[in-house]
Amino acid sequence: MTLAIAARGLEKRFGRVHALRGIDLEVPRGTTLAVLGPNGAGKSTLLRLLAGLSRASAGSLLVGEADPARARASDRRRVRAAIGYLGHATFLYPDLTARENLLFAARLHGVADARARADALLAQQGLEGAADRLARSFSRGMAQRLAIARSLVHDPAIVLLDEPFTGLDPAAGAALELELRRMHQEGRTLVLVTHELGRARGLADAAIVLARGRVVHRAATLAELDPLALEAGFRRGLERTA
Amino acid sequence: MSAALAVLWKDLLSEWRSRDRVISMLLFSLLVVVVLHFALPPDAGSTLRAGTAGLLWVAYVFAAVLGMNRSFALELENEALSGLALAPADRGYVYLGKAAASFVLLAAVQAATAFAFALAFDVALLPVAARFAGIAALGGLGLSAIGTLFAAVAVRTRQREVMLPLLLLPVLVPLLLGAVRATAALLDGDGIGAPLRLLAVSDAIYLIVSFVLFDFVLDE
Repeated sequence: MTLAIAARGLEKRFGRVHALRGIDLEVPRGTTLAVLGPNGAGKSTLLRLLAGLSRASAGSLLVGEADPARARASDRRRVRAAIGYLGHATFLYPDLTARENLLFAARLHGVADARARADALLAQQGLEGAADRLARSFSRGMAQRLAIARSLVHDPAIVLLDEPFTGLDPAAGAALELELRRMHQEGRTLVLVTHELGRARGLADAAIVLARGRVVHRAATLAELDPLALEAGFRRGLERTA
Repeated sequence: MSAALAVLWKDLLSEWRSRDRVISMLLFSLLVVVVLHFALPPDAGSTLRAGTAGLLWVAYVFAAVLGMNRSFALELENEALSGLALAPADRGYVYLGKAAASFVLLAAVQAATAFAFALAFDVALLPVAARFAGIAALGGLGLSAIGTLFAAVAVRTRQREVMLPLLLLPVLVPLLLGAVRATAALLDGDGIGAPLRLLAVSDAIYLIVSFVLFDFVLDE
C-alpha cells in the first residue's frame, strides 16, 4: 500500500492556542478520506498543513514524497505541483473573467495548452455561458464552481477540498459529487473536509472526526463507515467542543 | 519564467480593468508636486534649484509606496495570495512578475509626474529627457524591486499601510542617494557616471536579495 499522505504527531499552535494535537494520519494513494467535525475542530487547519500553506509546529508530514512546508525547495515545488487545493476562499481575481482566471492559474502551474484546459474545465462546471463574465459578477455558487475548476486546472494527483459543496445548488452539488467519484475512479487521492455526514459516507473510503484539534473517531475501512458509528463519533466531537 | 509572465499579465490586466492603482498613484504624486509648489517660497531661486531633484524623487517614492500597498491588497481579496503560494513554480518568478507589473505602472506615473514637475518648478527636463528617463527607469526598477518584497511582508501585518513605509524607507537610502545625485547632476550638466553606478548596484542587490527571499515571504 503506497501512502499519498502520512502524518505522525502533527501539531499546530497559534500562540497558546493548540489548533491541532497529535494527529496521526495515513491516506493510501487513490483513496478518499473524509475529515469531519464541528466548527473550530481544526479541519481547515489540517488541510492547510497538508497543502503546505502552513507549517506544522511539531510532528512529521509527508505528502507524496516530501513535507510540503519543510522539504528542500525543489521537493516542495514537486509536492505543490501534485496538489489541488480548494479552501474557504476562492483564490479568484474579481477583475478577471472566468476564463482569464483559469488561464492565469493554468499558466502559473505550467499547463501546456492552458486555453484548451480552461475551456474544458469551464464546460465541466457548466460555466461556458459565463466564461467571459468578470468573476466579481458571479453568484456564490458560480464562484465556488469556478474555484473548483481552478483547483483542478493542473490535473493534480492529490486533491484537498475544504467544504466544496458550500454555496452550490442541488444540481451543482450532485454534479460535483459525480466529479469527485470520477476523480476517485481515476485513482486520485482526495481529502474532503465536510460537515455533511451523508456525503462523506457516499464518497469516502475512510473518515476521521476531529474535535478540539484531536481525532476523536476513526473509520479506517468502508465497513467502519457505518452511519450510526459515524454519527456517534460526530456527536462525541460536538460534546468535546461544547 | 512563464509564471513571471503570467503574474505580469494578470496584474496589468486587472489594473487595466479597475485602474484604481495607477489613478491613486498618479493623483497622489501630482498632489505632492502641487503641495511642494505652494509650500516653497517663490523667491527660493538657486536654493530651490539645488533641491529640485530631491523633491521629484520624494513624489516618486510616495507614489511607489502607495502602489506597492495596493499591489498586494489585490492578492488579499479572496485570499489569492495563497493561490500564488501554491504555484509549483519557483516563487522568485512570482516575485519577478509582481515587481515587473509595479515597474510598468510606476514608470507611467513617473512620466506624468515629471511633466507636471517640470511645469510647476520651471525645470528644463526636455533637453535631457532621454537620459532622465534612464535615471527614472533605474530608480523605478529599484523601488519596484525592493518595494515588492516589503509589500509582501507588510501585507500580512495588521498595520500594513504604515508597516510598508516603515520597512521600506530606511532600505531605500542608497537608491535615493544615487537617483537624486544622478538627477541633480543631469540638471546641472555634470557627469552622472558615479551616481548611476550606485543606482545600478542598488538595483542589482535589491533584485537578487528579493528574488531569493520571496520564497520565505510567501510562507504563512
